[in-house]
Amino acid sequence: MSDMIVPDKVPNEFVASTGMLERRLRFVKSALLDTFFVFYSVIVLQRAVYYRFILDLRDFPFSWSQIGMVLALSTVAGFLWTFSRTSLSCRLFGISKNDKITKWTVEIFAWFLFDITFIAGWIVTRISIISLFSPDGIQGAERLFSALFHPQFGIFDDALFAMIETIYIALVATLISIPLTLLVSFFTARNLMKDSKITFVIYYVLRILLNFIRSIEPLIWAVIFSVWVGIGPFAGMIALLVHTIASNAKLYSEAIESIEPGPVEAISATGANKVQIVWHAVVPQIVLPFLSFTIYRWDINVRMATIIGLVGGGGIGNLLMQYQGLARWREVGLIVIMIAFVVWVMDYLSARIRESIY
Amino acid sequence: MLLTVQDLHKTYPSGKHALKGVNFEVKEGEFLVIIGLSGSGKSTLLRSINRLIEPTSGRVLFLGKDITHLKGEELRKVKRQIGMVFQQFNLIKRRSVLSNVINGRLGSLGTIESILENYSDGVLADAYKCLDTVGIASYANERADSLSGGQQQRVAIARSLMQNPKLLLADEPVASLDPATSNSVMQYFEKINKETGTTVICSLHFLSLVRRYASRAIALKGGEIVYEGAPSDIDETWFKRIYGEEAEEVEIR
Repeated sequence: MSDMIVPDKVPNEFVASTGMLERRLRFVKSALLDTFFVFYSVIVLQRAVYYRFILDLRDFPFSWSQIGMVLALSTVAGFLWTFSRTSLSCRLFGISKNDKITKWTVEIFAWFLFDITFIAGWIVTRISIISLFSPDGIQGAERLFSALFHPQFGIFDDALFAMIETIYIALVATLISIPLTLLVSFFTARNLMKDSKITFVIYYVLRILLNFIRSIEPLIWAVIFSVWVGIGPFAGMIALLVHTIASNAKLYSEAIESIEPGPVEAISATGANKVQIVWHAVVPQIVLPFLSFTIYRWDINVRMATIIGLVGGGGIGNLLMQYQGLARWREVGLIVIMIAFVVWVMDYLSARIRESIY
Repeated sequence: MLLTVQDLHKTYPSGKHALKGVNFEVKEGEFLVIIGLSGSGKSTLLRSINRLIEPTSGRVLFLGKDITHLKGEELRKVKRQIGMVFQQFNLIKRRSVLSNVINGRLGSLGTIESILENYSDGVLADAYKCLDTVGIASYANERADSLSGGQQQRVAIARSLMQNPKLLLADEPVASLDPATSNSVMQYFEKINKETGTTVICSLHFLSLVRRYASRAIALKGGEIVYEGAPSDIDETWFKRIYGEEAEEVEIR
């Protein structure tokens, strides 16, 4: 009882104190961001523009003490700038002054940041119109393209078997992923796990783990598993499986989180237990999205399986690497055409199936 | 006394004090109607009775037993005896009418049995009987979302009847239906109340429906009971006190 009688004054004071805290936090955030902006500008100007473009150095001089000094100076500058309430970050965090000087400072500095970023990007990626249009290069490309468009059908049966292998790698990875993903996705759905502390910890740990797995590309997983289980289709399949579980679990659990709460309420009002609630109120609402995600993922996996072959994951990618290494471009041409065809068919099929189940 | 609510409070995490010490009693066989503006605490009160919402303090006695702090199996046993019908019907849209009705029995079915949907003939017969009570047995194999609003609400009533409830809660059961359908759905509540003696607690918006169906009425305003008595005694003065000075009564037929 006593915990519900709250004097009127308390909320206001509470709001005021969080307001102060909020403002201080914003000041710190914006000072840190300003520091970063200044540091970034100096480093980019010095290294990309001055060293590489103006002096055209191959090996940059590098010393930690120099970087440290730049960092120290920009920290001072960043904090001072934020303190004056005229910086870009102040504007971003909504604590800037509202006068002409601020407006001009923010605008000029934003353009300056954009420009040096673009220039640095141009220099770092070594954009060169000359090499794009050099006669030698174009001649080479012509030779390659003409080979690709005159495919050598001598290896058709080999390529077909490799293609089938690729499709099966994708299919098996997708199929095995379904029950595993289902299991994981219920444990990573916030609305089912938030009730008790223990389940919430499980939810949190699983989420972090899945984010980590997902952030590693299937290509890298294929490298890891080709060391673990040996080069071949099994390594490719298991690499795809791992990545499929991690990314589909996120989609599945988002589908679980966006279900209507009404039916869940209705079923729990009948005195049903947790398992029954999930099976009779949650599952019917998520079957279709799950099916749709899974079919789409199979389509993605076929495309990925061709790439995974490049690093020893078996299938058509493997064959592609062999012939590319031998510079036999007409065979490569055949393989590329086959991949394009299969990917197009899969794309079309998965779109049609997903359309028809809704 | 079937249900006793004592000094019930509910404060939401957002700080909203939705119920401020509600007290009332419900006798067996009554048709109690709760009225009040949107946000007056009607839904919170109904959901606190069958513990879809945990009340902050106070007590709920059901059949003389304090059910406020029950947990797990014990709580589910109580929930089984209290049916509930919702404004939005809350059916499983993609499933058939029949399986929606059978869902009402989940509390007393085994987990494995209900997952395999391996129902005994008795359960199926009961489901058809409940559908028959609300007059839609011929729709048993239709998909639930292919039915009209009024029919869906009747399916929801049949689902709650599957529980053989001692108490039937209805949270604005006709608020999303048109007037004619509202009346016919209310007639099923009346029929259940009269024929099986099931106690009904129902929140409603329209006073004409309250006067027609309620045996007793409670009015909530800002989380407190401001009126308790016969529906026929709610005159102009009371109406203004419950719904505010600007409110005007509209008649629906």
